[in-house]
Amino acid sequence: MNLITSFALLLQPSVEDILLEKQRLQHNYEFLSYGLIAAWLILVVYVLMMVSREQKLKKEIAGLRAMLEEKH
Amino acid sequence: MRDKILYGLGAFAILILINDIVHIMGLPDEVNQGAIFKIIFFHVPVAITALTAAAVALIASVLFLVTKNFVYDALAVAVTEVGLAFLAANLVTGSLWGRVIWGVYWAWDARLTSALVCWLLYAGYLMLRHAIEEPTQRATFAAVFSIFAFIDVPIVIFSIKWWRTQHPQPVFWGGGSFPSAWLPYFLWNLVAMLLIGTIFTMTRLRQEESQRELDYLRRLAHSM
Repeated sequence: MNLITSFALLLQPSVEDILLEKQRLQHNYEFLSYGLIAAWLILVVYVLMMVSREQKLKKEIAGLRAMLEEKH
Repeated sequence: MRDKILYGLGAFAILILINDIVHIMGLPDEVNQGAIFKIIFFHVPVAITALTAAAVALIASVLFLVTKNFVYDALAVAVTEVGLAFLAANLVTGSLWGRVIWGVYWAWDARLTSALVCWLLYAGYLMLRHAIEEPTQRATFAAVFSIFAFIDVPIVIFSIKWWRTQHPQPVFWGGGSFPSAWLPYFLWNLVAMLLIGTIFTMTRLRQEESQRELDYLRRLAHSM
């Protein structure tokens, strides 16, 4: 019985193994979140660029229209 | 009306994404790769959206050359710009995935290199447009360039079949395994990304219309 218990204990993962696995999982989650943040950040930056361009275009069109109306 | 459609599509895409993200985070980790494998739910849909955008740009460019209708030119530039943003997201997520699995951010294999070349080609397309002032000449040169740039797209898609690459074989059409229970989340994410791409393109297309109006007003002001 003692022999079997000792053998089963030997098969169990050591504390170092568990810590390494925990570290690997944390590393995985860290990079997953980096990936998702980076992907969304690129798309958000693109949206902000579009918003700024839209505002610039509207402002320029309104300015030119006002100028043309004044000339008339 | 167009604004309402855009807002409606946007709200629908956001709802799909929120629902999907909640479910994806609750899925168990993949046996070999762990949690990082879940990046596939974004990495592949953004790639498909980017390459779809390239295909639409090709069709719009051919239609412009045939009809000389500037609406197609506007569509080509709008969709190319959107595709470029999605391809950038694909390259970045792929690079971070590679860092965990391969231990390096980048490998000069056929898939990664052809995808980077694809990004550079379409960035070159946008730069070319900035360099030419005359509208008809700009649209014609850009359309021809876009058609040539599309040659790289099949190379990106099939590179992992044609050559031995660091990038793995296709998960969905190359014998890879993807849990069937995960497939609906993947497909919904793909729908959401395509919707977001469509919304961006429609918004960008409206800006091209505004740009044309601005050009017309400038010419009018100049002639007075």
